[in-house]
Amino acid sequence: MSEITVEVKAKKYIVKTDRRYTKTDEWAKLEEGNKVREGITDFAQKELKDIVGIELPEVGKEVKKGESIGVIESVKATADLYAAVSGKIVEVNERLLEEPELLNKDPYGEGWIVVIEMSDPKEYEELLTPEQYVEHLKKH
Amino acid sequence: MAIKTLLYDYHLEKLGASFGEFGGWEVPMLYTSALEEHNIVRTSAGVFDVSHMGRIRLKGSDVPEFIEYVYTKSFKKIKEGWMSGPTLALNHWARVKDDEMLYKISDEEWLVVANAPYREKMIKYFKEVAKEKGFKIKIEDLTFKYAMIAVQGPKVEEAMEKIGAGWANDLHTLEFRTDVEIAGAKVFLISRSGWTGEDGFEIWAEPSAMIKIYDKLLEAGVKPVGIISRDTLRVEMGYVLGEHEYGEDPTKFPCAISLRYGLGAIDWNKKGFVGEEALRAYRREGVRWVRVGLRFKKKAGRVVPRQGYKIFVDDVVVGWITSGSYSPYLKRAVAQAYIDTRYAIFGEVVEVEIRGKRYEAKIEDFPLVPGRPVVK
Repeated sequence: MSEITVEVKAKKYIVKTDRRYTKTDEWAKLEEGNKVREGITDFAQKELKDIVGIELPEVGKEVKKGESIGVIESVKATADLYAAVSGKIVEVNERLLEEPELLNKDPYGEGWIVVIEMSDPKEYEELLTPEQYVEHLKKH
Repeated sequence: MAIKTLLYDYHLEKLGASFGEFGGWEVPMLYTSALEEHNIVRTSAGVFDVSHMGRIRLKGSDVPEFIEYVYTKSFKKIKEGWMSGPTLALNHWARVKDDEMLYKISDEEWLVVANAPYREKMIKYFKEVAKEKGFKIKIEDLTFKYAMIAVQGPKVEEAMEKIGAGWANDLHTLEFRTDVEIAGAKVFLISRSGWTGEDGFEIWAEPSAMIKIYDKLLEAGVKPVGIISRDTLRVEMGYVLGEHEYGEDPTKFPCAISLRYGLGAIDWNKKGFVGEEALRAYRREGVRWVRVGLRFKKKAGRVVPRQGYKIFVDDVVVGWITSGSYSPYLKRAVAQAYIDTRYAIFGEVVEVEIRGKRYEAKIEDFPLVPGRPVVK
């Protein structure tokens, strides 16, 4: 089973089991070469509702874990995107500039936002496990 | 705890709505996508549940005098079976308590539609005014008796035909009828009105009857649309919302003239209404701020101008955003704003600061969507 469905206040959210999470509702997936692909969770996209725009960081930028690296605009709110880990931005999903709706349609796949090359791989281990993130969602 | 709309279970179980809070009510925010729902109303037909709107019945021999005192409009020429068009209730600083619509059933019986967050405030205020001035009126809150829907969009006439209520298409804009039947269900009131800029009808009926009408409308191809799209639609049209474009606090909101409400909402020939002295004083002095529309350049991309963002000409702050949205219909950001009257020139370009960056926007009159249909 590669995903968990969690029900919070009569709404269902998907949590993928192949990655880690932040308390601020980003997911981080470990890839080769100490790289982490990051996006927002199903819960985050459902909370924001229709996403209409995104501001992406520049490739090459050094970021610290927890730092705001982008902004997501939805019909409902403006939300910050926080770096799940420290390191260097090595890729951004420029497709989102034209098709921000991908963040709603496929938050764990086509709607990925950035790839960060980690400066401290230990930070990945400190992120929430899928089970911990499920518990975190249930607190809402 | 927010009050659930009278049709809550229907929205949840039958339509799978996503709920959120507005004005103390738990209302359907969207069903599938707010952007799609916006476009449905602009190009086809959608149905909103607007049962959170406050609905108040005023009855009694002093009602005509009471409403002339409370509101900025003159109601003397309104005929039975017609809505007044929107008007304003002011406080003594000439700030707006609420923008409301009145319906004339007879000289001594009127209906008031108040905005959801102000329903209780206005009922309390009506009672205070009646007591203080000795007006003989009976105030009845109908909000929990009838559900209310708004069917909106260029294809509403077809939909009304399909549900066997083609007769309603004879109603003129702002005309209403009471105690009729639609789709075999008892309807308290149907009017040719709405808040989207499109053709449409608003229907009041008891919840059980309303569910029958909803079912029929959906069968006829009308799509359920939520409160988020209602908000983005009204921003395009330049319709105002409490605590955004107006409010009672004079340190936060300009006077009612600045609202540039139009539609005959203020009648300067009328004497003796609440807030009149302050309003006339502002008129004589001239107003500092005026509400305008802003149309962002397409190259600004998908930014969303939010309330409070500042507007610049060079290094001078000349105004602020009151409401904004990304318009899926115009494919650009649009906003309502207050601008210093010296800079408020239609066609001129100003800059809006969003997170430290400046974006160009053109000052325009409302509506920001061109050529909305005018119904008979």
